[in-house]
Amino acid sequence: MKDFALMMIGAALVNNVILARFLGLCSFMGVTTRIDTAAGMGLATTFVITVSSMADWAVQHWLLDAYGLGYLRTVTFILVIASAVQFTELTIKKVSPALFQMLGIYLPLITTNCAVLGVALLLVEGRMSFLGATLFGFASALGYSLVMVIFAGLRERLALAEVPRLFAGPPLGFIVASLLAMAFMGFSGISTG
Amino acid sequence: MSRDLHTVEGIARVVGVDGATAWLEPEQTSSCGSCASASSCGAGAGAGGIGTVTDRIAARRFSLDNADDLHVGERVVVGVAERALIRAALTAYGLPLVTALTAGGIAESAWASDLATMAAMAAGLVVGLLAAGTVARRLAARGDLAPRFLRISSPFKGGEAGIRDACVAPPQPASCAKPAVGRAAAGRGMGEETGVPSTCHASLTHPLPNPPLEGEGASMTLSIGNSP
Repeated sequence: MKDFALMMIGAALVNNVILARFLGLCSFMGVTTRIDTAAGMGLATTFVITVSSMADWAVQHWLLDAYGLGYLRTVTFILVIASAVQFTELTIKKVSPALFQMLGIYLPLITTNCAVLGVALLLVEGRMSFLGATLFGFASALGYSLVMVIFAGLRERLALAEVPRLFAGPPLGFIVASLLAMAFMGFSGISTG
Repeated sequence: MSRDLHTVEGIARVVGVDGATAWLEPEQTSSCGSCASASSCGAGAGAGGIGTVTDRIAARRFSLDNADDLHVGERVVVGVAERALIRAALTAYGLPLVTALTAGGIAESAWASDLATMAAMAAGLVVGLLAAGTVARRLAARGDLAPRFLRISSPFKGGEAGIRDACVAPPQPASCAKPAVGRAAAGRGMGEETGVPSTCHASLTHPLPNPPLEGEGASMTLSIGNSP
């Protein structure tokens, strides 16, 4: 239990997907103009990363490792992620058309989110158990969502602030992102201390 | 009308009116469909077929009470409460994840087998999705998930005259860069609601009241906006 807890804190904060591994930067800059859309995207990505982590672990152990097809890993995982996105979209549509109307727009964007593929490749390298791999994916996605919401909150404040015209908009966003990344470097002290 | 910070707004187009009900389709977001790969991913104008963005938008058609006498072709601003969006996302994604991870944790502690954990998590996911459906039906019955009409979006003035009117320019005759016209006709590259082109270039001849210029009636040409 303690191992799982430490592994999850490490995946979410110390080795944050966005600010330490620099994955998923397109959605980090693109969908963070408002907190609610960032939270919606974060939750959708969390669901897809967790479901695809489960599927990727099974494919890796019972197909790629079993038949020596490791060189097909990236292609296979892309296929698994695309299938997980389609599964999620169809399921939400079937379970609740009203929810699908409200949230469906985020789902196709996740297929092209490199953070999903990055987490899948990382959990294979970790040689974890099924529950460990799923929790690693879940915690990484929680870290992704946390940073998305924090950054969206900062950008909402910045939108109201008076800044020099030269820095208004994305330039200031990049500067804030770099400061946020430096702040998250403070968490790396947890692993060495 | 001031913008409500607690409402998520979107633009939709009225595609049909059936008595007291208006059918609307969400408008394509400005970023998707205007990128260089739009023609190959199916987001480009005129693209159709299963799985394309056009098909997805058609699948997301929704209805509103037509109390405001909407007409086919009108662009309207619709909105949902910010808390409703978060609640919907937590219901659809959070609930199934919690049940799946709980079931997986219990199975791992009970049997410590990957296969049993996997089966338990799959079962937990199914139970969570069914529970999400029940909660969503309850939310929908209360009307929390339905978008509501906020206002008519600023009418788009097509053609060069419309763009000229939309340009921010002094009363003197002004003209805008030609390339913006084509994009305007396609409804892209515009300010989201105002219909103001994102790149508007105007030049004018403006007699200056102060005397930095020499001679009577001297004038100079000013340029406003981005250079082409």
